[in-house]
Amino acid sequence: MTLLSVENLRVTFDTEAGVVEAVRGVSFSLGRERLGIVGESGSGKTQTGRSVLRLIRPPGRIEADRMNFDGIDLIKASERDMRALRGPRIAMVMQDPKYSLNPVMRVGQQLMEGLRRRDGMGKKEAHAKAIEALAAVQIRDPERVMDAWPHELSGGMGQRVMIAMMLIPNPDLLIADEPTSALDVTVQAEVLSILDNLVRTRGMGLIFISHDLRLVSRFCDRVLVMFKGKVVEELPARDLMKAQHPYTQGLLNCLPRIGGPREPLPALDRNADWAR
Amino acid sequence: MALIEIENLSVTFTAKGRPVRAVKGVSLAVEQGESYGLVGESGSGKSTILRAICGLAPVSGGTIRIGGQPLPSPRGADFSRRVQMVFQDPYASLHPRHTIDRTLSEPLAIHGIGNTDQRVTQALKDVGLPPNFRFRFPHQLSGGQRQRVAIARALMLEPSILLLDEPTSALDASVQAETLNLLNRLCAERGLTFLMVSHDLAVIDHMCDRILVMQHGQAVEELPREALAKAEMKTDYARSLFAASADRMLDA
Repeated sequence: MTLLSVENLRVTFDTEAGVVEAVRGVSFSLGRERLGIVGESGSGKTQTGRSVLRLIRPPGRIEADRMNFDGIDLIKASERDMRALRGPRIAMVMQDPKYSLNPVMRVGQQLMEGLRRRDGMGKKEAHAKAIEALAAVQIRDPERVMDAWPHELSGGMGQRVMIAMMLIPNPDLLIADEPTSALDVTVQAEVLSILDNLVRTRGMGLIFISHDLRLVSRFCDRVLVMFKGKVVEELPARDLMKAQHPYTQGLLNCLPRIGGPREPLPALDRNADWAR
Repeated sequence: MALIEIENLSVTFTAKGRPVRAVKGVSLAVEQGESYGLVGESGSGKSTILRAICGLAPVSGGTIRIGGQPLPSPRGADFSRRVQMVFQDPYASLHPRHTIDRTLSEPLAIHGIGNTDQRVTQALKDVGLPPNFRFRFPHQLSGGQRQRVAIARALMLEPSILLLDEPTSALDASVQAETLNLLNRLCAERGLTFLMVSHDLAVIDHMCDRILVMQHGQAVEELPREALAKAEMKTDYARSLFAASADRMLDA
């Protein structure tokens, strides 16, 4: 069943220096599965993710032939309808907990804010729900974390708090924008297994945006490779290491390998025909 | 005699009135011209060791010697000429309101080195940036370009030792490759000694000759590069770290 379908999505920014096209005609559809979007910085992968929630501020513009989420036209929906979607139906986990959590609000307050305001829940009930959400992302001492300030949390803890916050309303689609790139390998593995478990048990759709090809190939079902605002290749994640497109191959080859040769790493060719 | 000798180093911070021991009795020695890697998860104290060498962390025990000499406190001008550091986040480590020119010429001014104009132009050339970047501000550069500026700044005083704190973990794979190639080229050209921190075993393997695995502020195991690729580690922790990076192996 298709949860989200996007056809010919374009995101453009009118700047003083002219029109910048961040996303140029991206199409994809998503069921209840894990879709990875990979590419370098500036390839438009984050803008694609944000467009689904219509979180592009002027002077940015979103245009698409079609953008449907579970029968709702995301292009025509009013701002009021979009607000009702953001959070309860489609949630987004941002890249960096340092910048995405409110620094002057205790973690517990931030977790309960939505429950109290949106769902009109009582203090006690909201507290219990928040604790439950923190436990679901395997935070060992949820009571202490509830009382902590964001700066008192490590990167991995902050990231888990953000994931917990997004999962409280039980969304159908989770967009995770580089959720693990600020974390080291061991914590990364932990956060991924939490996400994986949640996708399986709750039947969510997941858009996983990352620049780490190895991570995406291990973790996702399907992968879109983006370059300069276009999808250059779409393939099953397990075949990523056997990618055909020269750009995808280039991205793979420039990674150092344990036990690899000590010669300079091959640089990525950004000037070939397919880049235009 | 090793160029950098660290013996039984301890660093203790005070957090909320309680002592936090970030580094507990770590010893290591780095030879002239060697690349030495520190790996471990966040909070294992690997960056703190680099900061302690620079005098940026409260050393509570042990000694640090460079070229056989114990380091003075505060570190002083001679130290800056021999040892420079490149930080993890190129967005945070460059002054946002100084032009690249000002960032690069400041160390020259402090140390009373003349010929600024030519040295700045040469420094940009050495790290592969076009000369017209000189009068840009950091926000007008990409992450990879900023990290090149940070490397250029560290090399302005022609130091013999570079301390690299996760120099590529904020960068994309392709930009990471370019930055690692740049560091290797500079190392070969100038005979630099690297002490490098990373949590990416593949990056450390690509760059370093010897590796120290750290956990909870303690040294767990020292490995030569060859032993890493053959998975010949003796401790469980080093093995589990290696297992988490298994997809970074050559044949994965």
